[in-house]
Amino acid sequence: MHRVTVLPDGVCLPGHPGETILDTVVRAGFRYPYACRRGGCATCKVQLTAGRVVYPRRFAATVLCREEQAAGVCLSCRAVPDGDVVILLQEGDRLCCVSPIRFGQPFFSDTRE
Amino acid sequence: MGVMRLGYMHVRVTDLEEAKQHYSNTLGMKIVAEDGARAHLKCWDEWDHHSLVLEEGGVGLVKAGYKCATAEDLDIFEHRAFAFGATVSRMSKGDNLAVGDGVRVVLPSDHVIELYHDIEYGGTETGTLNPDPWPRARRGVGVPWIDHFLVTADDPATTERFMTEVLDFRASERAITDPADPELIGTWLYCGDSPHDFAVVKGPNGKLHHFGFCLNDWNELLRAGDLFAMDDVPVDVGPTRHGITRGGTIYFFDPSGNRNEVFCGGYRTGPDFPGITWTADQLAKGIFYISREMSERFLTVVT
Repeated sequence: MHRVTVLPDGVCLPGHPGETILDTVVRAGFRYPYACRRGGCATCKVQLTAGRVVYPRRFAATVLCREEQAAGVCLSCRAVPDGDVVILLQEGDRLCCVSPIRFGQPFFSDTRE
Repeated sequence: MGVMRLGYMHVRVTDLEEAKQHYSNTLGMKIVAEDGARAHLKCWDEWDHHSLVLEEGGVGLVKAGYKCATAEDLDIFEHRAFAFGATVSRMSKGDNLAVGDGVRVVLPSDHVIELYHDIEYGGTETGTLNPDPWPRARRGVGVPWIDHFLVTADDPATTERFMTEVLDFRASERAITDPADPELIGTWLYCGDSPHDFAVVKGPNGKLHHFGFCLNDWNELLRAGDLFAMDDVPVDVGPTRHGITRGGTIYFFDPSGNRNEVFCGGYRTGPDFPGITWTADQLAKGIFYISREMSERFLTVVT
């Protein structure tokens, strides 16, 4: 079991072995911008500020190139953590909490409250 | 006689095995040929050899093929494309598996299309003698045919001008900014009697927004949605309806992130169709008729 910490919100989530960063976040009931979930659109890129990831499934170099990877950019729908990781969302993005679902309350809440 | 229809899409996929699973098991296409890095597939109600080529490595569009009625059309189009100032070259029989000689053109939007007349005959899965309405062994969504694709371009107007002046396409629907000073932000072009065979919207040159498969009606569309859930296919938009083309639609992503569409309905065009205009302030209704709200994901994701 590893941990995925998401900045700037500072939320720390438990990851299942072999699970991508995005799957960990979604499974815990959070969202940040993502789209195709298949490594083709680059929407889910985050900055890996600590830890390492591996990419067991292929994606196109045009989506994430080696230079970006060397600079710590990570394709979160394809990246599987190798140990604890810390990611920083793209400028302006925040984690949205979509669980537990409760009717009659604001749907997206600031997770720092 | 001119361009008849979109004949084939040739796209890049990051993992050929996963792509084959998606297009053949989930969508129901038949793999008709493969060699290592490429697979050729066709839908059950198509009679030409193939309509989709999957090439391993990367994402996005390699090229698309439009089938023309006669060999003479190719000469005419080659001449016109050259006069337009586009990059034109001849392709030879065998450059593409099962496809004959043709003309390869780079559109103003940087997309490559191939015009051809001759392709090996494969036959529909229902056949031509006392046929059933659909194949007994129909798999997954069971898409009958590939219908159109939508690309992005810095300058949709010039690409529209190429398609209409060189290839005799016509615009069924156009999206403009302000009627008083209109800039073209999208155009849907047809060469037969369906709402569109090609479309281009404003965005980066050379990119693919989606390619679409036809289904018969809402029931089939909703059933496709159920199959996407069962097969964990990421859904982008829908099921909903477009104002533009009136089509029911679901957009979804293949295992590489290329966007696909299944849609149903539409209307009949033909050479004398009057043409429809959408203004930017109503474009959300044009794309998402029921919700009338823009989806950021739909707008920004291209491959």
